[in-house]
Amino acid sequence: MNSFGIALAVLGAVCAALFAGIGSAKGVGLVGEAAAGVVSVDPSKFSKVLILQLLPGTQGLYGLLTAILLMSRIGIIGGNPAELTVAQGLMFFAASLPIAIVGLFSGIAQGRAAAAGVGITAKKPDQNGKGIIMAAMVETYAILALLVSILLIYNIAV
Amino acid sequence: MSTEFASAVGAVRALEGMLLTQQDIVRMTAAENDSELRDILASTGRNTAGSSEEILSALEAESGETWDFLSNYAPHDRELEILLYRNNFHNLKAALKALIMNTEPERLFIKPTSLNLAELPSVVASKQFDMLPDYMTEAAAEAYGILTESLDGQLAEAVLDTAALRAMQEEAERLKSGFMTEYAQLVTVCCDIKTAYRCSIMKKSQSFLETAVCGSPELDRTTLVREAMKGTDSFISWLGDTQWSEAADCLSRSPAAFEKWCDDAVMELAESAKTKAFGIEPLAAYFIAKETEIKNLRILLVCRSCGASPETITERMRRLYV
Repeated sequence: MNSFGIALAVLGAVCAALFAGIGSAKGVGLVGEAAAGVVSVDPSKFSKVLILQLLPGTQGLYGLLTAILLMSRIGIIGGNPAELTVAQGLMFFAASLPIAIVGLFSGIAQGRAAAAGVGITAKKPDQNGKGIIMAAMVETYAILALLVSILLIYNIAV
Repeated sequence: MSTEFASAVGAVRALEGMLLTQQDIVRMTAAENDSELRDILASTGRNTAGSSEEILSALEAESGETWDFLSNYAPHDRELEILLYRNNFHNLKAALKALIMNTEPERLFIKPTSLNLAELPSVVASKQFDMLPDYMTEAAAEAYGILTESLDGQLAEAVLDTAALRAMQEEAERLKSGFMTEYAQLVTVCCDIKTAYRCSIMKKSQSFLETAVCGSPELDRTTLVREAMKGTDSFISWLGDTQWSEAADCLSRSPAAFEKWCDDAVMELAESAKTKAFGIEPLAAYFIAKETEIKNLRILLVCRSCGASPETITERMRRLYV
């Protein structure tokens, strides 16, 4: 068994969960700060700002999903690891990079956009939807990266 | 890109929704009697119990409460503290005057301030000026010297006023704060024009003007002094040909119109912070907005108690943030 190949694939799963998770944590934390400021003055806006706070959390879920699919594909989940060559391991590692990198940056960027949306909600609660839409636009790129990662993971021959 | 003060900006945005609107001001100006005015004031969340003086002092306290609120989010923030420099220097002036006149300075103090007002009179009396913030030390010693040696209150005041403006500009530059630099320079321009105009009317000496005018990259001190020395008409005419022609128009109408122009210009600058989601600008802008709101209410209440017409009150109302 070529353990270096499987190690590379596992590293890919780790990167997907790790970097996308960091992006989400930073984004959600930033919106949380802005939301807490609003709620400290006007607690009635809690539900509206909560939606905005949840938005940057999706990148972390995409990273988790990618990591689980990858681990499932290489047999880590189930306790029967596949025998992978270094090339196959590298391909799995590369497959995890789109969501790892895009997840990291889009999570932070979405956090900034959503925190700005919190400002809209605080001042003009009836315009809350516009703040959500603007922050949700960033999500597109995380979804595209997730799609590429999943397609790659399922199409690498084992 | 900085994401500083996200929480504070969120809170400030929520508070901005509670600021007075133009409609509130119009309603209050048009109120037929004191009771109706109090009802409208109460609808804006203010306690209107007690006499007009009590309402006015409650308004003064709002300024301190606003500062305390911002300080909780940005404790000891040097950029934000620039907004207090003029209050700090005013309080120093009050302590010096009270010392010379042998009176209690407390009633002359204004808040918010970053000085310890309980200790300030003793600091001034014992000449321990090094206990003051660095930017005040030198000017405090100089003003003390002028007051005790020549009893020239106007000159001492001029020294402290220019020191406040210079300290604001220098600190904003040192902190590389674009917003605060613009604020400091704009405030300096307003004060310099006012001082130069007054000195011109009072035919003050050139050396006094040179002390009383601070100068800034926006309006050169030497030119301002030179033009003010030529007389008021010539000064206004010269100012009208500069980028501050609006200020010249207002100055030629009345000192009140000029004061309003100054406040409106600062508010225009503060409005630039409306588009910022992070950073110190929205906090500073909210403080400026709140100060303006309090000033508007004070003008409105005082004018109404003097029987001024709604038109006169409307003329004096400052531009609002919301």
